Amino acid sequence: MTATLHRPRDLGTALDLLAGLGDPMVFGGGTAVQILLKQGVLFASDLVDIAGVPGLADLVATPGGLRAGTMVTLRRMETDPLVHDRAPLLAQVYGRVANPRVRNTASVGGNIAHGDYRLDPPTALLVLDARVELSSAAGARHVPIREFFTGFQETTVRSGEMVTAIDVPTQPLGGAAFTKLSSLAANDWPVASAAVLVTAADVGDREIRIGLGALAPTPVYVAVALPATASDDDAVDAALAAVEPLIDPLPDVRGGVAHKRRLGRVAVADATRAAWHDTPHDLRGTPGEEAIDDRRPTFLRRHRRH
Amino acid sequence: MTPIDLVVNGERRSVTVGDDDLLLDVLRGLGHTSVREGCGVGACGACTVLADGHSVSSCLARAVRYDGVALTTADGLPAADDVVEEFVAARAMQCGYCIPGFVLMGHELLAENPDAGAAEIDAHLEGNICRCGTYLEIRTALENAARRRREATRTEKEPA
Repeated sequence: MTATLHRPRDLGTALDLLAGLGDPMVFGGGTAVQILLKQGVLFASDLVDIAGVPGLADLVATPGGLRAGTMVTLRRMETDPLVHDRAPLLAQVYGRVANPRVRNTASVGGNIAHGDYRLDPPTALLVLDARVELSSAAGARHVPIREFFTGFQETTVRSGEMVTAIDVPTQPLGGAAFTKLSSLAANDWPVASAAVLVTAADVGDREIRIGLGALAPTPVYVAVALPATASDDDAVDAALAAVEPLIDPLPDVRGGVAHKRRLGRVAVADATRAAWHDTPHDLRGTPGEEAIDDRRPTFLRRHRRH
Repeated sequence: MTPIDLVVNGERRSVTVGDDDLLLDVLRGLGHTSVREGCGVGACGACTVLADGHSVSSCLARAVRYDGVALTTADGLPAADDVVEEFVAARAMQCGYCIPGFVLMGHELLAENPDAGAAEIDAHLEGNICRCGTYLEIRTALENAARRRREATRTEKEPA
């Protein structure tokens, strides 16, 4: 079966197509859709190619962070100075997806709409408390990323809707780390991944935010609070206790349940230890829009394009 | 069927393509047989082309989306291309099937980061597969190409 390709030139037309066609699929970056079509496992009557819709590839600063249009490429999230400045953890995690060619083509909206439990970007979006904009012919609504993934390969995106943007708050002060473990090729799907962000909601208190990939039927978010005086080992123990009831691996060619559970614990422990260790003891508060960013952790900017 | 213009290595070619036609097949049909199919799912890099300087897996790319976009294929590189010369000097190939993809990925990397060393080369080429296993020679070739570019830049900057 060949799906009919539509190439709308404005958002209204695209949303009308999604509302009116029989079984449409949004065609964004096109990497996942094209692979699924080749494998014969995607059944759509129509493809709505949104590459020609103006504005969907905009990446802009907002008063509280940044806003990435649905067609912004993963590679741009990896390399753009705005993302490095406002959410360096996010840039780091986007830079770990698949390979550079896929990242040059795949889009931020399509990536999460794909809904796979092994995706890297949701781990960072979860700890950063991102918000997804969904649009349909009836209007737009906003869904916290922590409510976006509803089941195995399922999201909250309804029939006739598409992701149009992701809003990401500025990364709070504190340590952040991402660990991704693969049992086959290094750029294969991971068997376990964990993004960890340590924040200081109140003086003397810390919150360890943890986003997990590949360790349950959906990406998973959990947070745990502990005093700023806790040791690295205390932080790791608290993080492991928090994720323990949530790790529910699916056995496949990359490993069995015990293997993935073990690697999941390693990923959480490594990322937590690094993030906690990088959090200054005297840290307090979160940066406002006018905050000076010189205490925010950075990472090697080797892929800068600009 | 849609009429489009593919701008391949600076030359404008008018073609008519179907909605499903892959850039890989259209380019090969135009004679650019340095663009090769390997895995067919964007994981091996044999079908790499540069679109506006950015690497793309042409096996996953619909040609209709590349109307008017400047494309580079390995066969369009100049005869004295620095990356190709270093691949030859380092004997970085055996059968050669995958090499056009590696060469173009190397061009993308060095255009972005002339200071790339072994770690950056490994990271950028992680999605390219060479079944003959000449990875070490490929890394050497790109380290040498990077060095050549840095030296050329230094020479240009020196006062006359």
